[in-house]
Amino acid sequence: MGRFSSIRVLLCFAVPPRCKGTNVAMSTSPPPRYRNNAWREHPLWNWVGLVPFFLFIFLFLIIPSLNLFTGAFVTNKGLFTLENLSVFRNPLVLKAYMTSLQVSLLTAVIGGLFGFFVAAAVALGHPPRWMRSLIMTFSGLAANFGGVPLAFAFIATLGRTGFVTALLKEVCFAGPDGTQICPFNPYDHGFSLYSLTGLVLAYTYFQFPLMVLTITPALEGMRKEWREAAANLGASTWQYWRDIALPVLTPSILGASILLFGNAFGAYATAQALTGGSIPLVTIFVGQQIRGDVLGNPHEGYAMAIGMVVVMAITIVAYSMLQRQASRWMKV
Amino acid sequence: MKAQPINWWAIFWIVLAALYFFLPMYGTLDFSLRMERNTISLKAYEIVFADPRFWQGFRYSTLMALITIIVSIILFVPTVYWMYLKVPQARPIMEIITILPFVIPTIVYVFGLIRTFSRPPFQLTLHALTTDMLIVAGYVVISMPFMFRAIDVGMRALDVRTLTEAAQSLGSNWFQVLVYVIVPNLRVAILSGALISFATVMGELILASFLVRPALAPYMALLGLTKAYEPAALAIISYALTWVSLGLLQLVSRGGTTRQLTGR
Amino acid sequence: MTHLELSHIRKAFGPAVVVEDFNLAVTQGEFISFLGPSGCGKTTTLRMIAGFELPTAGTITIDSTDLTNTPPNKRNVGMVFQSYALFPNMTVAHNVGYGLKITSKSKTEMMQRVHEMLALIQMEEFAQRYPFQLSGGQQQRVALARALAIRPKLLLLDEPLSALDAKIRLELRHEIRRIQRQLGLTTIYVTHDQEEALSLSDRIVVMSKGKIEQVGTPTEIYNAPATEFVARFVGHINLLPVTVLNPANGVVSLGRQTLRAGRFGQLNGRPVQLAVRPEEINLGAKPDANTLNGEVESVTYLGSIVRIGLRIEHHPLSLDVFNEHTLKLPRISETLAIHFPVDACWLMEKSD
Ligand SMILES: Nc1ncnc2c1ncn2[C@@H]1O[C@H](COP(=O)(O)OP(=O)(O)OP(=O)(O)O)[C@@H](O)[C@H]1O
Ligand SMILES: [Mg+2]
Repeated sequence: MGRFSSIRVLLCFAVPPRCKGTNVAMSTSPPPRYRNNAWREHPLWNWVGLVPFFLFIFLFLIIPSLNLFTGAFVTNKGLFTLENLSVFRNPLVLKAYMTSLQVSLLTAVIGGLFGFFVAAAVALGHPPRWMRSLIMTFSGLAANFGGVPLAFAFIATLGRTGFVTALLKEVCFAGPDGTQICPFNPYDHGFSLYSLTGLVLAYTYFQFPLMVLTITPALEGMRKEWREAAANLGASTWQYWRDIALPVLTPSILGASILLFGNAFGAYATAQALTGGSIPLVTIFVGQQIRGDVLGNPHEGYAMAIGMVVVMAITIVAYSMLQRQASRWMKV
Repeated sequence: MKAQPINWWAIFWIVLAALYFFLPMYGTLDFSLRMERNTISLKAYEIVFADPRFWQGFRYSTLMALITIIVSIILFVPTVYWMYLKVPQARPIMEIITILPFVIPTIVYVFGLIRTFSRPPFQLTLHALTTDMLIVAGYVVISMPFMFRAIDVGMRALDVRTLTEAAQSLGSNWFQVLVYVIVPNLRVAILSGALISFATVMGELILASFLVRPALAPYMALLGLTKAYEPAALAIISYALTWVSLGLLQLVSRGGTTRQLTGR
Repeated sequence: MTHLELSHIRKAFGPAVVVEDFNLAVTQGEFISFLGPSGCGKTTTLRMIAGFELPTAGTITIDSTDLTNTPPNKRNVGMVFQSYALFPNMTVAHNVGYGLKITSKSKTEMMQRVHEMLALIQMEEFAQRYPFQLSGGQQQRVALARALAIRPKLLLLDEPLSALDAKIRLELRHEIRRIQRQLGLTTIYVTHDQEEALSLSDRIVVMSKGKIEQVGTPTEIYNAPATEFVARFVGHINLLPVTVLNPANGVVSLGRQTLRAGRFGQLNGRPVQLAVRPEEINLGAKPDANTLNGEVESVTYLGSIVRIGLRIEHHPLSLDVFNEHTLKLPRISETLAIHFPVDACWLMEKSD
């Protein structure tokens, strides 16, 4: 169980077409009024019921976030400064950002593609029923399975003494120069689970099921008639995918991608448990900064943390711009 | 029903996916049973279950999860109800707020939480009890996107206004409407939100670890640093816990109103 | 000159036989309707012609070319779907031009053809709209234009109007017929609406349970149904079980009353029934005509006509009278005489 628990519910945000028409559920007729107290007629009165919620959010979400934000722009003495942004000139910090972006993009692309093919196989390939339910059930499980236990599972599987590693040691592979390599120990050939490759492999475990969960409904929404109409007009399968299927799916694919990206970018526990912090991700770096002031200036730590929010914000803005382009043809 | 020819590409991808699912799971299970040389045994599980810190972590996390769920329900159900009834125009801002915990990486959020509440004027981290209060607040925020959505989806399926007017015409006051009419009709949605929150809190590492409370995930992480077989056993136990939560979720949401919460 | 020929087509989905021994020859420019109840295999047959389903047995030829195993994208057969099936991501112009783009026609040629087609369906000003910005009727027009743009050898329409409201349906069906005539296009039109089939078609194929019941012009189908199924399915009909008194001149009896049928085939002793359409029956008695007496059971007001339900010798019979202002409606339980011309009724074998 990780921080990924049923991210599926977030799809409404990430994949707006899924939620078409959800905002119009309320009728516009005025609420019933039973007493005629003038002060109750004031429109602001209607917001009173939301006060506890906003108070809670203000205290436990807005203030902490703002605190971090202001922390990033003041000196130790509390004066405004942009000095702390120099943390982004620190090669270690830059490296961490690059690694995080790399891992997030890589796992979003790999997990996204893999997940797309699996979802297409499930939705369009007419597999036996039991295979379909197997994949959907396990996707639900695996997309929610991250963090420490996932790291353990991969160590037990692909670690130095892992089960697959042991299996591989018993098979022989033809080496690049034609010689047989027996036994084949992947750890003798540059592989390590505790490296970037290992991290990508482990992240893929929850990334691709998330893609399956997000994109399957969109694939199932592809109407059979579109394919037939295209064939009827002379299009080959490939032309159908290029001209109709992919453009129709693009908004959903974009939404799923951003979900996958954010999912990987904010992940901490899996990487921490798998590599013990030896891979410099921003999340790991922020974690170290919380434990002790590794940068030598706590305010630079806040700046670094805020940088993550900025990256997410930029991603989301870019996403909504692309989304607008891709969904011109859609009813809003 | 449809006599379609078997699509071998589809089978290929499905098998590949199944391997990706099962190999680590099988590897972990296999590993967890091999603590004793040359034999299959439950030794690793015995050790885990004999460790009081495991039970402490389990108890602590379960308790925190339950409190989180109760607080979430008390906070979100009336809020969403009020929003539907009185201020539908608040929806856009509510949606943005409730998605924030997803946009802000948890570690960054926790950083902010610690910076805010570990110093005056709101210092909460001095005592275990106040720290636990802080943790619950954090969990409520982290699981808010799921909980809020679940209740929102459930509420959408109800005709809140008509139900309320009907109940009021029979003489109920607001509180009675909420408790006797709205909540019973929402129980599927609330339950599914609760299960997701439960799974989230049980597996949450960052908050508990940085606020140094004895939750389950930090215990696992710690064990992973020093042991080999016990972590595998723990991973299997986690799998089982996730299974149970999601299994219950599937069961609960069979009603259909909250289908989008599950993998189907 | 036969343009499209279906011979001995059979289609089975697993054990279920959906189309059986289907034979049909269509000439160039003909407008054919497939008419039949839901599930009788109309769509399946149409889809076999389009190439979306493979016949289990039999052959499909167009212009003497065997197309039975040709994939759908190589058939050059235009199809209009019940649900429009416009590509949602393309504008009207792109939808209409898509088939031409596939055959890599030049851009100018494509644009020209698109304009031509949009003019044909009178929707030039909608070229840049997306499908979601169109009404159902407009979407179906575009679907028609899209199918026509590729200059198909054959146009197939599967209940193209059934998702539209009554007024648009009427308007559009005349438009389809106009365009079809203008282009001289061989067309197959699937419908379960008999009025649509009767008013549009050159010939109608009435189907039931995967088999052809009758092929004929609307007049033949309506006035001389070949089977009881066709008689019952197309229009309203009265079928009275009668006993043959004289096989030579068609005199039959219904209880104590005697009647004469205008048309009758070989009467071979099997149970027969007398068929007569409600609109052929008039109130009152008349010499030289078949006259019957019965008790009024119901009077249903349908606007331009009034349908009167009678019980004659324990058998129900209905007749339609025009709702003229002089009409005096009979009362329930009243005993009434009615008559119909000998030429207007015929004998039919009872089907099992
Ligand atoms: N792919 C299929 N697999 C199995 N059975 C099918 C398939 N397609 C159609 N059928 C069956 O074939 C029969 C004929 O179907 P068809 O769609 O041709 O009917 P139809 O005459 O078009 O009816 P409707 O007026 O309702 O459209 C039905 O009983 C249907 O259940
Ligand atoms: Mg049909």
